[in-house]
Amino acid sequence: MTKVYSVFGGLVLVALSWIHFTGWSPSDVTEEKTPPSVRDNPGSYRSAYGGARPYTGAK
Amino acid sequence: MALTPPPAPIVATLACEGCGAPLQLRAPGRSVVIACGACGAVLDAQSADHRVVARYEAKRTVTPRIPLGSRGTLKGEPWEVIGYLFRNTKVSGITYSWFEYLLHDSTGGVRWLVEYGGHWTLTKATAAVASTRGEREAEYLGERYRHFQTATAEVAHVVGEFPWQVRAGDKAVVEDYVNPPLVLSRERTKDESTWSIGEYLDGDTIWKAFGLPGAPPERTGVGAAQPSPYRPHSWTMVRLLAAFVGLALLVHLSFLGLSQQGLVLEADWRYHPKAPATSSVESAPFTLTGRTSNVMVEISTTLVQSWAYFTLTLVNEDTGAVRTFGREVQYYFGRDGDGSWTEGAPWDRAWLPSVPAGRYVLVVEPEGPGPMTYRVRLTRDVPRPLWLWLAVGLLTLPPLVFWWRQWRFEQRRWQDSDHSRSVFTSDDDE
Repeated sequence: MTKVYSVFGGLVLVALSWIHFTGWSPSDVTEEKTPPSVRDNPGSYRSAYGGARPYTGAK
Repeated sequence: MALTPPPAPIVATLACEGCGAPLQLRAPGRSVVIACGACGAVLDAQSADHRVVARYEAKRTVTPRIPLGSRGTLKGEPWEVIGYLFRNTKVSGITYSWFEYLLHDSTGGVRWLVEYGGHWTLTKATAAVASTRGEREAEYLGERYRHFQTATAEVAHVVGEFPWQVRAGDKAVVEDYVNPPLVLSRERTKDESTWSIGEYLDGDTIWKAFGLPGAPPERTGVGAAQPSPYRPHSWTMVRLLAAFVGLALLVHLSFLGLSQQGLVLEADWRYHPKAPATSSVESAPFTLTGRTSNVMVEISTTLVQSWAYFTLTLVNEDTGAVRTFGREVQYYFGRDGDGSWTEGAPWDRAWLPSVPAGRYVLVVEPEGPGPMTYRVRLTRDVPRPLWLWLAVGLLTLPPLVFWWRQWRFEQRRWQDSDHSRSVFTSDDDE
């Protein structure tokens, strides 16, 4: 099992290097528009409590 | 070097005084009694007339897995099966049974080969005195053994010859202490207390040693002294996991250090739903350099209790290729009976994958119910932390499965002990 894990771990590291190098991503960067029914009820999904998420980005 | 078979054993044949069945005396001079499997008579093996010294009613017929007279080499020593006991114990109303085969060699040495549920143990008397440390531990030759089980074992069936008096119905309190693949056992009767040490063997080894036909019985559950197939690799898994996580971190930090992470565009715009000119804006041209890599897109807004949807198009002025994608920003907050809440954030961040080098412009088409100002920043070649965390998660998964299986193996070992901590009831085999 350790041999299999060694090969697996090596492949994960190769994949990580390759993804970092090429900037590849399997996911679509496009977000779907939120349906109006959800927009009309802000807060009903309660994604977080206690204040906004911290942000150290553009502004 | 030519292999020479061991010399044929000296065997004396006699007739059972109880039923007349033929009996073979394989260790004449050393055996004290010989038990007839047909009628249950126990004969004096040392007297000339082989008189019956005890008799029991054979309540059931048991067939040993290793026939009497079988000869084989175990642990480099030649042995012959000269007798066997069929013993049982009752725990919580359930009767558990096992075989104990008596092996002897030409020098008078004896071993017990114990088989329970397809698990085999080669046992001999201890060479030194073992000692108990409280009720949960015993020590022998500097090694510690954990208490596994204490039970009263009764001889239910006895066949063959033995160098001591043995009768069906004999009872002894048996304490087992384990340190796989070893098991330390103490048998106590009202007259004596003896210690023995056994080593776990698998059925294939037994079958091969004695040249038995067919296959050994299937193992049920995990044997008390069965060595864990996981334990020898446990530390290796720890070291591999640490090495791989360390290397993944190193890879990520290396790319952080070597990647461009260069800001290629920073632009502020205003949007008003009633001003058509603000519904589509185009940036000044900018250049992406280096190898094909990602572009980090950050949008920050002045949205409060509102939303905006941005359609962004990256246009390669050299080739005419376009990449269009959409991002949504929404930010709401409030307070109700459960306390304060927030939904979304006034900013967004995304990574545009695999963007070739070239000269580009960015076209932004915002939409939303109200006016806002917003800023768009594009940063070239930014290693995404998500991939590091995903890699660490993937690298951790196999060791977690490994350790869970190791834990489960031990749970199954101990579920038949006096110290069961298991909730598993499965009896599948390892």
